[in-house]
Amino acid sequence: MKNKLKVLRAERDWTQADLAAALDVSRQTINAIEKGKFDPSLPLAFKAARLFKMPIEAIFDDGEGDS
Amino acid sequence: MLENTSNKTDKLESRLNKGTKQIFVWTLAWLLSNALVIFGAKLLWDNQREMTVAAIALNLILGIKLIFVFKNHLKDMDELQRKIHFNAMAISLGSTMIFGNAFGFLAPTGLIENTPSPSNLLIIMGISYIVAVIVNYRRYQ
Repeated sequence: MKNKLKVLRAERDWTQADLAAALDVSRQTINAIEKGKFDPSLPLAFKAARLFKMPIEAIFDDGEGDS
Repeated sequence: MLENTSNKTDKLESRLNKGTKQIFVWTLAWLLSNALVIFGAKLLWDNQREMTVAAIALNLILGIKLIFVFKNHLKDMDELQRKIHFNAMAISLGSTMIFGNAFGFLAPTGLIENTPSPSNLLIIMGISYIVAVIVNYRRYQ
């Protein structure tokens, strides 16, 4: 699943560690999500969406959307 | 500074540190109770049956406590860490079953003289678990 975490984080000048602390996960987890190696659970995706004040689908894209 | 959005009181790192310390303490207590069962009967209470039963009961109680401490530690991890450990548990269980089964053939077929001890399975379980955790952590780096 693709996501815009890295871009959104960079726009706000947050480090991976900052984002990890805000979402209560490890920095390794943020890194794995950003690299597309790990898909977050729905609760974690919601948490990220709330943090960035954006809808989930604006951050995460499963590639199955309308074309 | 970003605010922590979690409803858990402790931060991840402090929860994990606390859990690791608890696992260490309860594992040590469990190992000492193993030693008590093995050596206590001979050296401390001269093979009194009641004392041996009590020592085994203590060993079981500490073992059960250790299971719950580890279970809570898993609950305190984040979801990627939990996934890594669950994968490792699956590999460890599979390895123990497959190698344990093959190991059981060694004595009946005459490849070794002594009957394999069940404690050997713990070694396979422990090593395969540790290796799987390391491999999985590297995979997600």
